[in-house]
Amino acid sequence: MTYSSTLAMGRQQGVSRGQNSVSFRVTDKRLGPVSNTIVLIVLACLLGLLYLTQVTKTNAYGYQINGLQQQQSKLQQQHEDLSVASAREQSLDRVANSATAQSMTPVAPSGSVN
Amino acid sequence: MDQQPASVIDPVQRVRIWYALLLLVFGIFAVRVFYLQVIRYDYYKKAALSDQLKQYTVPAERGIITASLGGSSVPIVMNEKLYTLYADPTVVKNAEHVAAKLQPIIGGDAGAITKQLKTSDTRYVILKKKLTPAQSDKILAFKFPGVGTEEQDYRTYPQGTLASQLLGFVDNSGQGQYGVEQALNKQLQGKPGQLKAVTDINGIPLAASANNISTQPVKGDSIDLTIDVGMQAGLEKIIKAAQEQNKSQDVSAVVMDVRTGAIKAMANYPTYDPSDYQDVSDGSLFQNIAVTDPIEPGSITKLFTTAASLQKGVITPTTSFYDPGSWTIDGSKVSDVEEDHSTGQQTILSTLDKSLNTGATWMLMQLGDGRIDAQARSILYDYFSNHFMLGQATGVEQGNGEEASGYLPKPTDTGAGIDLTYANISFGQAYTATALQMVSALSSILNGGTYYQPQLVDQITDGNGTVTKVAPRVVKSNVISTQVSNDIISLMEQNNTNHIAEGFPYLNFGPNYAVGGKTGTAEIANPLGGYYSDRVNGTYMGFVGGNTPEYAIVVYNLQPTKYKGFAGAETGQPVFANIAHMLINDFGVTPKAK
Repeated sequence: MTYSSTLAMGRQQGVSRGQNSVSFRVTDKRLGPVSNTIVLIVLACLLGLLYLTQVTKTNAYGYQINGLQQQQSKLQQQHEDLSVASAREQSLDRVANSATAQSMTPVAPSGSVN
Repeated sequence: MDQQPASVIDPVQRVRIWYALLLLVFGIFAVRVFYLQVIRYDYYKKAALSDQLKQYTVPAERGIITASLGGSSVPIVMNEKLYTLYADPTVVKNAEHVAAKLQPIIGGDAGAITKQLKTSDTRYVILKKKLTPAQSDKILAFKFPGVGTEEQDYRTYPQGTLASQLLGFVDNSGQGQYGVEQALNKQLQGKPGQLKAVTDINGIPLAASANNISTQPVKGDSIDLTIDVGMQAGLEKIIKAAQEQNKSQDVSAVVMDVRTGAIKAMANYPTYDPSDYQDVSDGSLFQNIAVTDPIEPGSITKLFTTAASLQKGVITPTTSFYDPGSWTIDGSKVSDVEEDHSTGQQTILSTLDKSLNTGATWMLMQLGDGRIDAQARSILYDYFSNHFMLGQATGVEQGNGEEASGYLPKPTDTGAGIDLTYANISFGQAYTATALQMVSALSSILNGGTYYQPQLVDQITDGNGTVTKVAPRVVKSNVISTQVSNDIISLMEQNNTNHIAEGFPYLNFGPNYAVGGKTGTAEIANPLGGYYSDRVNGTYMGFVGGNTPEYAIVVYNLQPTKYKGFAGAETGQPVFANIAHMLINDFGVTPKAK
C-alpha cells in the first residue's frame, strides 16, 4: 500500500453516513504497468545510448592512441637510425680516412725511443 | 432487418488472431535469440573473437654491445631495421618496366631482376635484402602490384669487422652464435611482450575491449666490454700485417690488464665480417681461436717452469748449473733446438735467453730428487694445473662450450714415458693451452700472485637503465709469492735487454718503461705420430709497464712459412714488440717513477 492510498483511506474514514458533505476521491498517482514499462524501456534505451556513446568515444581514443603509438615508434626508429649513422660516422676507419686525418703529419713517438 | 454476412469475423476476434500471430512470431524470434545468445553463446563468442581478437608477440629489442674508446663508451654492435624487397611474380604486371624502375634503387642487373619477376613456379621471390628505409619508401611509392617490402631486424657493426670473432653474430632466428653474442644470448635477448586485443577490420586495437592484454617487451641488457676499441683496432692491424708478412695460417694475440684480468684486446687474423656472416664459406673463421684452439705453446712455458722452481726454492734467479747439452730420458734424447750451443755452465737467465730445453728439464729435475721422478712431476703438475690453471677452461664470456680447456697430462706414471712427457712439458711441448690461458697465467705471475678469471664484460645495463659493474673475480690467490713475481719480471726484462744486444733493436723501449718477454718456437704434433719436421708455431709471451707490469701480451703466430731463423724470435717477437710500442705510445702506460 502506497503512502497516497493510505492517506485517501484516512480521509474517507472521517466522513460519517448521512453527513451532508461533498464527497471527494483522491486521484491515484501511481504509474500504471504500461507507463512503468515505457519508462523502463526509455531508461534502458537511454542507458544503452549512453553506453554506446562511451564505447564509441573510447574506441575513438583507441584510434588516437594507436596513431600516437605509431608516431612514437616512428620517432624511436628515426632515433635509432640516427644513432647508427652517428656511430658509423665516428668509426675509427672513417675517422682515419677523413680529410682532417689525412692532412695530419706523423710525429715520431717519443715515449719509448728516448 | 439487417443481416450480417456469415463470413465476417468479429473485429475483436480478428485483432486477437493477429495478436496471437504476432506473439507467435515474437515467440519464435525470442526462442531463436535465446538459442543463439544463450545456448550457443560459447560457440559464437569464440567464432567472433577469432575474427576480432588479434594476438601479437612484440619482439624485445636486443641489447647493444659497447666498448671503451678514449675514456667513453661507444657502441660496437647495434640494431637496425632494414627491409627485404619481395615480389609475387603471379601478380606483377610488366616485369620489364618494374625491373627498370627498381634497378636504380636496389642496384644489380635489370635483366636478372626481370627474370626473377617472371619466375613461374613460386609466389614469393626475394629481390634484395637489407634495404634502407629510404629505399623501401621509394619502392613502395611506385605502388607496383605484387611488390612489397618487409621490415626485419639486423645487427649492425659501426666499427666494421672489429673484434668480430670475439663478438660473434646473431642468426636469422635471432639467436646469438659464437662469442659474446652466444655466451650472453639470454641477457641480450630481453623478454618479448604480448599484445592481445579486439581489433577493427584494419587490425587496429579497440581500446574499449575488456579482452585486451598488453604486456610491454623488456629490452635486452646492454653489455659494456672491457675491450678498448682503439687498442683492439691497433692489435688487429698489427696481426694482419704479421700474417701477411709471415704467410702464416693464423695469428692470434691477447692483451690483458694484469691488475684485473680484463681483456683489453683479443684478435685473430684471418677474420670475417659479421654483417655478412652468411657469405662465409669457412666456418672455422667464426671461431675466436685465441680461446678455442689450444696449441703446444713452446718455450714461453719455460717462464712457468722457472716460476714453479723459484717458488719451491730449488733455484734462485742467479743459480748456475752444468748443461751436458742433452739429457736422455725414458730412452729418448732431450736436446735444444739451438744445436750449436756449447755445453757447460748455464744460468737461469741464459736458459731463458738461449731458450735451453736442457735448462728447463734441469729445473724440473730439481723439483724432484735431482731427476725427473713422481715428486717432480707432481709439483710441476700442481703448479701448472692448480696455480696457473692450465688444462681447464677459464670461463671467459665466449660462446657456450666454445672455449677449449687444453690438455695437461696427469703426472701418474702409466709406463708410457711419463718422465719424457714431463720433460717436454717443462719446455712447452706435450701439453696444450690457448693464448687466453697463457696470458691469464702470465698475468697471475706478473701481478704478484693473483689469478683473475679473464673478463670481457665490464658492466651490464638492464632495460630499466640499472648499471651493474662486473667486479674482477679472483680465482686463486698466492699463485706465487711477490718475491718470485719480482724475480720473473726481472728475468723477463733482462731477457729483453739481451735480445736487443743480440740483434733485435726494435725491442728497445727506452729507460722509462719496463718491458720483458720470452720467445717460443713450438713444434706441431703430427696426428700420425711424432712432430712435423717442417711446421712450427712462433709464440711470444711478455709484458709492458712502468714500475709494475700493466699489460700481459701473448702472441701465437701459427705455422708461419715466410721467415728466417727461429719462429718465436722472428714471427712472435716482432708482433709483441709492435703491440708493446703501440701500448706505450698510444695507450698511456704509466712510465717508471723518476
